[in-house]
Amino acid sequence: MIWQRHVTHRLAEYVDQRLSPGAARTVEAHLESCGNCRAALAGYSFAARLLRDVALTQAPDSLWMSITAALDQQSDVAAPKVRLKPDATSSEPDATSLEPDATSSQYVASGFSRTFPWLRPLTAIAALLAVIVAGAAGYRFYTRSTLAPWEVTRLDRAQPERLKANEWIQTGAVSGIRLNVGRIGTVDVAPGSRVRLVAAKEDEYRLGLAHGEISAVINAPPRLFFVDTPTSTVVDLGCAYTMRVDDSGAGTLRVTAGWASLEWSGRESLVPAGASGHTRPDVGPGTPSFDDATPALKGALDAFDFENGGRNAVEVVLAEARVRDTLTLWHLMSRVEAADRERVFNRIVSLTPLPKNVTKDEVMALNPDELKRWREELAWSW
Amino acid sequence: VSPRHRAVGAEVLDACRRGDREGFRALYDAYKDRVYSIALYFFHGDRSSASDITQEVFVKLMTNMAGFRGDSGFSTWLYRLVVNACLDRARSGQNRERATDPAHFDLLQDTGSQEHALARMRTAESVQRAISSLPSQYRLVILLRYFDDLSYEEMATALNCSVGTISSRLNRGHRLLAERLASLRGTTV
Repeated sequence: MIWQRHVTHRLAEYVDQRLSPGAARTVEAHLESCGNCRAALAGYSFAARLLRDVALTQAPDSLWMSITAALDQQSDVAAPKVRLKPDATSSEPDATSLEPDATSSQYVASGFSRTFPWLRPLTAIAALLAVIVAGAAGYRFYTRSTLAPWEVTRLDRAQPERLKANEWIQTGAVSGIRLNVGRIGTVDVAPGSRVRLVAAKEDEYRLGLAHGEISAVINAPPRLFFVDTPTSTVVDLGCAYTMRVDDSGAGTLRVTAGWASLEWSGRESLVPAGASGHTRPDVGPGTPSFDDATPALKGALDAFDFENGGRNAVEVVLAEARVRDTLTLWHLMSRVEAADRERVFNRIVSLTPLPKNVTKDEVMALNPDELKRWREELAWSW
Repeated sequence: VSPRHRAVGAEVLDACRRGDREGFRALYDAYKDRVYSIALYFFHGDRSSASDITQEVFVKLMTNMAGFRGDSGFSTWLYRLVVNACLDRARSGQNRERATDPAHFDLLQDTGSQEHALARMRTAESVQRAISSLPSQYRLVILLRYFDDLSYEEMATALNCSVGTISSRLNRGHRLLAERLASLRGTTV
């Protein structure tokens, strides 16, 4: 007997030949007997044919110039150029007298050879020496920055200092420091902070933040950069964020771009841009919320997470939640008492209809895959 | 080879890791139109947003190329940057939804007579409007699928979701497109 379930949900995989031979035969058998599914397949194929004909639009030629200008600007900030100038006290140009020049990438002699044309050969030799010296210095700088997976640069110093594994850094009361995280980003450590390099490997960069504040900007694949705090680990998922930890170990993560997560003993809080998550001793990460959520919602959430606020706190959160706050409600699904779960579920679907690929029974049973699917759909409003 | 299927070899990626500007140029030439087109269609034909996104993506790419480990596909990483840049810009409200202007797109690949080309252009305008009208989660999947022929796994990584979700969004995206382009059935050239 032919399996009668419609196959419209499998058309993409069928057309793209991703189904197993058995599954493909099942789909074909159903298509033979079902006009609706045949019509859906015809529609799918029709749309696919039109899409394959869509031409790419050429990027404007000027874009490359904008990109190189932006890269050059970054290079200027990272490594000031040098300018060769004549020594005013000498009759010959001093090839070793190098000074930073923010405006030019050329070695220039400042009209020196025009004034003393007979010195041109010496100038040329001096310039050659300068190039060699600068090249050697540049090579040393390049290899040093290439070889060193981590570098620490104090904001008030020009030369970078490499951070050794397990070395603690205590920033002063006034000035902070910047850490270059390999080539994947930077971390600014605020004044009055204590940080440590835990690991620097090809597949893992890990810092420890005992107290204070860091601001990280990371452009790398997810789960490559970690920050351990006394009560949670901040996991970079491709983002920019600020993490603050007080002397008790309690902390607040505020994400400004992309996503990060707070993780501790199997508990995970996903925090998107514009949202924050708190973490406390003996509890770990609390439930994240958007920064523009109502004060009442945030207060109730703190009470629920860290003060045993229980059902009363949940009621306030449910009443105050907007569509965007399904971020908070989705996390609450797995954190409230079983008796309260359905009310949280109902509140979410009252704000955003349940997607067709998610079932109530499975999310109520806290099926991880189903919850993930639901979160992926909800996240479009976060 | 169709521009949308051009890829760069390991030697170009190695050159980029070393900071070689010519390597970057080769990388840029291989992917620029795909990145620009995805951003252009995502932002409903807004060229300014598409240019900003393209510049932002390639600057990030080139700045962080040395950190690319090569254990996952380069395209996956590139398109993750594209997706994040588009979504971040959309969230920030820098770009406002605007009416689609087909003149901003290159439309269909043009072949044949003038009359034929005109008919194809009309079809292309309809297709482009239909793509722009898709909800963003379906639009992105469709663009990644057809502008760079990404696999389901690559799209799942770029969009930080499961392969099952990709399949589901492709199904719904195609169904919506088929509904919105139903008037073209039997008339397309």
